[in-house]
Formats: sequence, structure tokens, C-alpha cells
Amino acid sequence: MNERHIAPAFIVAVLCAFGFMVTYGFDGNTQLQGGLLGGAFGGLGVGMILWAKHLMPNEEVEDHRHEMESSPEEQQEFNELIEGAAGDVTRRKFLSRLGLAAVGSIGLAALFPLKSLGPNPGNSLFRTGWAKGLRLVTQEGKPIKATDLEVGGALTVFPDNGEHRNERDSTIVVKVDASAIKPRRGRESWAPEGNIAYSKVCTHVGCPVGLYRENTQELLCPCHQSTFDVLDGARPIFGPASRSLPQLPLSIDSEGYLIAQSDYKEPVGPGFWSRGRRKMEDD
Amino acid sequence: MGFGRLLPVGVACAAVALALSTGSVDAADGGAGTPAQAGSQGRDASPTDRPGGAVGSGRENYYVPQDATPADLANPVEYGRSLYVQGCSTCHGLNGEGASDADEDFPPLIGVGAAAVDFYVSTGRMPVNKPMQQYPRKTPVYNGEQVKALAAYITTLSDKVGIPAGPDVPRVHPEQGNLAAGNQLYANNCASCHNSQGSGGALGQNYYAPRLDAATDVQIAEAIRIGPGAMPVYGPNTFSEEEVNSIVKYVGSLQDAENPGGLPLGGTGPVPEGFFAWFVGLGALLAVARWIGTRV
Repeated sequence: MNERHIAPAFIVAVLCAFGFMVTYGFDGNTQLQGGLLGGAFGGLGVGMILWAKHLMPNEEVEDHRHEMESSPEEQQEFNELIEGAAGDVTRRKFLSRLGLAAVGSIGLAALFPLKSLGPNPGNSLFRTGWAKGLRLVTQEGKPIKATDLEVGGALTVFPDNGEHRNERDSTIVVKVDASAIKPRRGRESWAPEGNIAYSKVCTHVGCPVGLYRENTQELLCPCHQSTFDVLDGARPIFGPASRSLPQLPLSIDSEGYLIAQSDYKEPVGPGFWSRGRRKMEDD
Repeated sequence: MGFGRLLPVGVACAAVALALSTGSVDAADGGAGTPAQAGSQGRDASPTDRPGGAVGSGRENYYVPQDATPADLANPVEYGRSLYVQGCSTCHGLNGEGASDADEDFPPLIGVGAAAVDFYVSTGRMPVNKPMQQYPRKTPVYNGEQVKALAAYITTLSDKVGIPAGPDVPRVHPEQGNLAAGNQLYANNCASCHNSQGSGGALGQNYYAPRLDAATDVQIAEAIRIGPGAMPVYGPNTFSEEEVNSIVKYVGSLQDAENPGGLPLGGTGPVPEGFFAWFVGLGALLAVARWIGTRV
């Protein structure tokens, strides 16, 4: 391998670089620009590597070190120094206690971040922003009438309680044929005119259950394919979720808009440590 | 040299990555079932709108009517009736009454409306040779005049029995839409299934949301209004005409989006892209590093 073999790599780099200038100047194809820039850098790199590998001197030269051993006098001096100092080491009581104090303080300091595990969430995991009489509004803030959705339609809604939309409140309202609903006991009045609403926070690990398969009346969570039966209280019928999606009790106000009868009757979203300990209170 | 030995490994990595990244969604949404069905029908049924799927074509396996004569165009309802009897009545019944038994379900067409006819026929989803779980987009069998005639005839079926017809073919004016509002509406209502780039996605149990890149403005609006297949329905009280215009305008902007990188990997998001970067990019870098470090 000699210069003639390496020159083409640099020539490729030069040509590609000029090609890039021309292409860029004429607003050419971005992929061509990328390829030419890649070719320029690639040619340069390949040329340099070939140069280093084949043209640079490559013989191994040894440079012997001088004698490493200390002279007998130096060894003698060192031994005396160490032996003389050995008695001093045990007498550093002050420093060793200070060292212990340092280690202990760091250990103590490590306990303090435990405070960040709080504050106690209290009732907040059992509550959402929904409350009696709040209208259902879309993400854009438009209130929904009971007649707005066609049968087979679905919308994501939030409580009309201010500008801020909290993801824990997100709810999917689906309009189905009212006679097809199999209401659970006590939920007979929760789906006026076939408008049925469920929490959109998956009971598995809290992903948004955003996929509504209209022809099979199933809600699907995209994260782990948990599937919920819309007509049967959002009972999980496939996937890792083990609890039904909480149902939001709906009713219709005097102007025909959909409103919540109350907050959810059970905590929304995935399970947590104390989930079963507290009963949800009615509004 | 090490490079010589590593090159095949790098090429294999690249091939596997490409195959996986372009076909990943197909595999995820039950590619095992539908391609087999498609195969049994010849290439006509090969899907064109499956996420990351291949482009198929052909009207060879279907009864393809002659183009309309002036006499046909003078009486579109009668022309539509003749097309219907030849091409649709086997499954949907001579009067659009449909048929259902334990094995098959042929939906009645009475009352479906012109938008539904136009959507299913102009996207090539109908006609089909046999029932399927989900009907893929393919090259349409009927031309525009024939689709209009079919829609006109099928609309008269509901008039006869006094049932209100479904939505008419929507008039779409994307130029009157608001792109930002369309983006918001799309993100809130469409992207969960059709993907933020309109490249579709798996819906579980062999269903899939189709890609939107081939859908026309009218077809997008029709799908919103009629909710074909597994898709929810969004009527005029849910989305106003202006809102539909905005959504159509936004989907159009996704279809026309520039692709400066040249290799979108199916547009399905960060998983195939990351896979490509880690295996192909890092694989190539490893091979080069090995070559640089090899002694001559």
C-alpha cells in the first residue's frame, strides 16, 4: 500500500465536499446532501486511517529503563523512618474520632431524604376534580349536550372546573344504545339516554384508555392491551388490568347538558397501598 | 482484517432492523391472520392502508362493469340498481336487506346513506369476495360515476321503506379550516388510534386503525361522520362542519409533510427509530472501530 492507494480516499472527500456545496447551493435533495457530507467525512477518515496504518513507521522500538532499585543507603534510611514513626500512628485519637464523626454524620444525613416520601396523600388519591353538577367539557372547553354524540360516538371529557385539565379527571363518554347497557346494581340511572362515562385512567398502571372499538363496544388501553367491556360496567375482559374502570354517574341538567351526579364512587387509576382501607364518601 | 469479518454481521443487523422497523406494526396488529386471508384472494386484497404495510393494487378478481354510457348517466338510480344487482346483491340482498346467519354477517344497506356507500366503494373496501374481520383499502373497482350511481340507488332503498337515510357525502372545504384547531382536535380525538403521524396502529384482537396517507379529503370527512368498522361516529353535533374542515386540513398537512431524512421507518414512532439507531448505527460504528484498531 502506498500513496497511490490512499489518494483516492482524499479525492473522494474533495469531490463530495464540492458536490455538497453545489447541491446545497441549488437547494437540492436533503438526502443527497447528507450522503455527500457523509462521503466527504468518510473519505477523509478512511484516508487518514489508511495513512496511519500503512505509511507511518510501524516498527517497534524498545527504550530500556534505568535501574529501578533504590540504593542500600536509601533503603536503610526509609526503614528507620518507618520504624520510628510506627508508635505515632495509634496516638492520633483526635483525628480518628473526627473521622468517625464524619462517617456518622453522612449516615445520619442519608436518612433525611425519607421526608420526601411524604406528605401523606390523605384523601387526594380517593378524589378527582369531578363533583355534583359539574358539566362535561371537551379538552377545548366545549360543554357536551346529551344529544351531541351519535350512537357509536365517543369523546374525552373533563369537569368544567376551570382552565386547568387534570389527567386524573379525564373521562371517556360513549353513547350507546341505552337498551344494550347491562347496568350494575345501583347504577341504573348513571347513563342517561345511553351516555355512559368511564374514567380514562387505566386501572392497571394508569395509561389513558383512549382506544374505543365501536363495533365490539370495547375500550382498549394502548400500553398493555387491557380491554374493557363498555356495556358491562367496563369489566376487564382481556389484558393485565384486574379492576373495572370506575364509572362516572351522569345526569342531564335543565339545559340539556351532561353533568356529573357526583365524583367517582371509587378511586380512579391504578391501585395503591391503602386503596382498600377507606370507604368513598358520597357527596 | 476485522472489518471483513464484521461486515456481514453489520449487514445482517441492518437487514433485521429494517425488516422489523417497517413490519413491526403489521406483526403487532395480527399480521399472521390477515395476510393469509389476503393471500387466498390473490394480490387484489393486499392491504394498502395497514400500518407499515405494502402497497397492493388490482381489480382483476372482481366483476368490473363497463364505463357508463350516456343513457346510464341520464338515469343514475337505474344505472346504480344494475350495478348493485351485479356487484353487491349476492351478499347484501336484492333490496339491500342484508343477511345474517351463525357464520356470516352481511349488513343491511337500507338507511346507510350516501357517505357510507361512497366511503366503502371509493376506498376499494367494497366490493370483496368474502367476509373479513376488517376490510383493507385497495384500488377501487368502481369509478367515480359508478360510485355516485350506487349511492343514489342505495339511498332510494331507505326512501322506499320510510327510514331516514344516513349522512350524505360531506362537502369538505379544508381551505376554510384552521390548522391549529385541527391539530388540537386530531390530537385529542384521532391520534390515540391513528397515531400522531397518521400512520395507523394496532387496535388489538386483529383490528387495526388504518394509515391515513392515501385518504382523500372527502374520505376523511366521511369516516368521521359514519365511523366505519371499529371507528366511533362523530356526528354534526359532535364536530361542526368547520371542525371537520380543520381536521381534514390537518390530516392533509400530515400527508404532505416533508421527509428530509428519507427513511421514516413506517412513521410509527420512537421504537423502530431507536432500534435502528442502536443496532444499525452502533453496529456500523463498532465495525469501523474494530477496523481502526486492527493491526496491519
